[in-house]
Amino acid sequence: MHDGSQDRIALLSAQGLGKHVEGPAGRLDILDDVSLEVNAGETVAIVGASGSGKTTLLGLLAGLDLPSRGSVRFGGEELELLDEEARARLRLRSVGFVFQSFHLLPALTAEENVLLPLELDGATDAVSRAREALAAVGLRERAAHYPHQLSGGEQQRVAIARAFVHSPRVLFADEPTGNLDRRTGEAIGNLLFALNREHRTTLVLVTHDAELAARCARVHELVGGRLL
Amino acid sequence: MKGSDFPHLDSKRAVVEKCGHGWPLSRAGTRIELRHALRNLRREWRLPELRTLIGALLLSVIALGAVGTLSVRVERAVLMGAAELIGGDLGVNAATPLPRSFVDEAHTLGLRTSRLANFPSVAFANDRSQLLEVVAGDAAWPLRGKLVVLDTKVREIDAHSPPAGDLYLDHRALVALGLRVGDRVQLGGRGLRIAAQLQRQPGASDLVSLAPRAAMALADARTAGLLGRGSRAHHRLLVAGDPGAVDAFRTWAKAHLPPDADLVTPQQVQERLRVSFDRAGAFLRLSALLAALLAGIAVALSARRYARRKTDEIALLRALGAPRGFAFGGLLLTLAMPSLIAALIGAAIALGLATAAFAFAHGLLPPSAQNVPLPLAPAFAAAGVGLAVLAGFALPPLARLVNVPPIAVFRRTAKRSPRRFDALYLLPALVALGSIALESGTWKLAGVLAGTLFGAGTFALAVAAALLWLIRKQLARLHPALRLGASALTRRRGLSLVQTVAISLGLTALLVLAVIAPSLLDNWRRELPADTPNWFVVNVQDAQRVAVHASVQKLGATRINSMPVSVGKLVSIDDVPVEHVKFADREARETAQRQVRLSWSETLPPANRVVAGRWFPAAPRNAEVSLDRMWVDTFHLRLGDTLGFVVGERRIDAKLTGIREVDWSRFNVNFFVMLDPVHGGELPHDWIASFHLPRGNASALASFSRDYPNLSLIDVDELLDRAREIVSQVAGATRWVLGFSLLAGALVLAAALTMSAAERRQEAALLRTLGARSGQLRWAALCEFALLGAVSGSTALFGAAAAGAWLAHSVFSIRDYAPPWFPLLVAAAVSAIVVAALGLAGTRRVLRASPLLILRRG
Repeated sequence: MHDGSQDRIALLSAQGLGKHVEGPAGRLDILDDVSLEVNAGETVAIVGASGSGKTTLLGLLAGLDLPSRGSVRFGGEELELLDEEARARLRLRSVGFVFQSFHLLPALTAEENVLLPLELDGATDAVSRAREALAAVGLRERAAHYPHQLSGGEQQRVAIARAFVHSPRVLFADEPTGNLDRRTGEAIGNLLFALNREHRTTLVLVTHDAELAARCARVHELVGGRLL
Repeated sequence: MKGSDFPHLDSKRAVVEKCGHGWPLSRAGTRIELRHALRNLRREWRLPELRTLIGALLLSVIALGAVGTLSVRVERAVLMGAAELIGGDLGVNAATPLPRSFVDEAHTLGLRTSRLANFPSVAFANDRSQLLEVVAGDAAWPLRGKLVVLDTKVREIDAHSPPAGDLYLDHRALVALGLRVGDRVQLGGRGLRIAAQLQRQPGASDLVSLAPRAAMALADARTAGLLGRGSRAHHRLLVAGDPGAVDAFRTWAKAHLPPDADLVTPQQVQERLRVSFDRAGAFLRLSALLAALLAGIAVALSARRYARRKTDEIALLRALGAPRGFAFGGLLLTLAMPSLIAALIGAAIALGLATAAFAFAHGLLPPSAQNVPLPLAPAFAAAGVGLAVLAGFALPPLARLVNVPPIAVFRRTAKRSPRRFDALYLLPALVALGSIALESGTWKLAGVLAGTLFGAGTFALAVAAALLWLIRKQLARLHPALRLGASALTRRRGLSLVQTVAISLGLTALLVLAVIAPSLLDNWRRELPADTPNWFVVNVQDAQRVAVHASVQKLGATRINSMPVSVGKLVSIDDVPVEHVKFADREARETAQRQVRLSWSETLPPANRVVAGRWFPAAPRNAEVSLDRMWVDTFHLRLGDTLGFVVGERRIDAKLTGIREVDWSRFNVNFFVMLDPVHGGELPHDWIASFHLPRGNASALASFSRDYPNLSLIDVDELLDRAREIVSQVAGATRWVLGFSLLAGALVLAAALTMSAAERRQEAALLRTLGARSGQLRWAALCEFALLGAVSGSTALFGAAAAGAWLAHSVFSIRDYAPPWFPLLVAAAVSAIVVAALGLAGTRRVLRASPLLILRRG
């Protein structure tokens, strides 16, 4: 299944996506008629100014939310036709996330945070895989530390280990270096792309960071909710 | 692009087919949820809101459990005390000796038994004779309580029934017959030695013993032929022992009672004590419940804060693909594990405290309570109620987390549920109402409490909402220092409202406990002042009335009052002879067959209240009757019904024009049936007089008794003592519960004030960063908390006063109750100041901390 032909199949496809919300001043269109295809193994960056709808698009592509118009196909499944529980299951098996503010559970240690997706999936070798993932991001020694005992860069590395530990098909990263200094951000970027290559994961990246975006095979810009 | 390209992403249907329920978690889900919950708990038990939550549960279980255990034990002890008045835990009265099977059954159940007989008999000595009320008991009598005699050196000695050949005579009998201890007396044709002076005996104050008293051996009474056929003896079998066995015997005896026999329970014997005890139980439970509900408010506030904290985690778990059940189930497990442990620990502490109270607080409980085993059920029931309160109050905010969408991991606004009303928020109210009803055993008390709290909550909400609206409108005109605080309040409108309502409810409950409960107890105590009539004289003839009044007044009696009494029978209801009336129950039939004591008065007697119809007009044309509500209920009567009575040769048909509620706990002379004075006065009658005579003067009554040999004197001092004892025991126990309530109140306050602490910290740090002076921030906080204190203090003032008036009127039947306004006002003002001061103290910490540190922590 993982031969070269698969790389040409669109793993992720959005057609005519629109998203609006009702605000105090009436309807606000966040996304308007966005169409996009991402092939398996591809790296795609979505850039744009604040409020241009980047994170909303990421949420729709990952099945975290449903569009007001249009459709998203993920691995051949039309997401709107699945209920929330089915979409959750799809995310569990096939999606990894890296967030700007790390989103580690404060009550769990680094290792337990990484364990989370494996345990949710009922993996039997969860602990050894979690340790490997932590070792891969260079945090073997910090496994028993709680998030508040880690620096920002270390927290983001734990988040990356958690995102890759169950070998997802697609990794969605929302401003992964946004909360980090330039040097740490660079290191995190390197790690992200290295692991991406290693796991042959499809990467969809939302960022302000032009250098990070430039490392992706394709860059799309969102302006006022429309893809240029 | 078919499913075969991505087999692991197959459609939901296929997944369901593959995995049964569709989730790998469905197989090992509970184990994983449990592991996740345990991991969370390892760190989260340090969170203030979780600690408050568990602390509140612990407190409510301890308060409910300790009070429940205590009140069950006190109830049993009071009943035991009442049992002392009849000499056993249960009696069977009969006109003839009871069959042997009754004694055998009691022994089979492991109960102790005693037989005795009461009869009137005339004693002779020194050419004098005196009618005596004689109790003849076997060697085991009394099983409960004390038979106290005075020996020749006038020392009080606990005794049992005298041995054969001996007799005890009371002071009045000794004086009347001119005898001393050691002399001999003739009774039933036998010469008996007076072994001691009879001082007190069980059953002496159940208003039966009218003549001077004597106690003798049952065997002597039998051989003297005093119990034979044709005698006026009443036989009684007494049993005592384990409460369960007594209940079993009661059930058995009921089914095997001979036609002329009936059961005598301690509760029945002393209706006045029962009323006192009902009030006592209501008081204690009220106190404990308020403590538990206070804890409930703290639970609700902490749960709300905990839910807010967990929102991010739930959103992340959902985003990572956790099923809804896992995310929410894990949360519930995290709470359930420490809650169960806390509830069990609470129950254990409650039992420990109840035991300690028994060991150390002797004054709190009657001495008989020492023999009552520690009941376990109330403590575990309290754990159940505590958990129900926790679930009821914590679930609504937590249940909202079920609907946290995964997209909330990106967008904080998505966390807010658009629903404006959630039926789940009715759950705490239902749990509160249910637990009040369950604990108090009366919907009336439940209604009053729930009504008060609901009223206070609504009032606080309305006042706070109006104030916030006004502040928003007038914000621009406010002094700049006040504007900062006022605008903070309006900005956090929802939080401000919740905070105000919670603190108002907490303060109302506290004021009810701290100010209203003691004032109700005081009123109750005042109902039995030191000069409550303690003697009754019956059989006073018309011609003797003035002389009797003068005589008792000379002896130092006060509060002398007399009422006419006619003894008759009810013969018809609405012209239907009572023999033909089909009564619904045995009680009604028996009441109709008994003699009725009728009285009359121009004015409504004290401790009486007309609840339907009216009191008599000055000169009614036709005879009218006013009945106690119990009679009306027993016979299912309505205003306008006609009742026929026969008194001697006279018959009177009176129309029911008024229904009264009589407070039987007040020790006044009261009657179920009262006629209008115009028609009642025509009936043959004598008088019953009541008065208060200080204890030391009681011996002087011996000469009075000799001067009026036809009169019977009844001493109710013992009953009065017991009623007063109950009031003081309840007062002690209520103070004890108040301690818990204060702790629960402190928890509510802490939970409510920390609710907005994080937001306030952030705001203060930001304002400090922007250059705000600490004085400005202090003023802003003072303005905010002063307003909060003022609204909650005034709500508590009026809420507690209303609750007091309502409780006094409808639950405790205390008349003329005026809420103690001054103490209430002081308590409300102090509470308001404490709220403001505590809020301000919390802000001081914020002002001291580095703004950068606070902003960094987020």
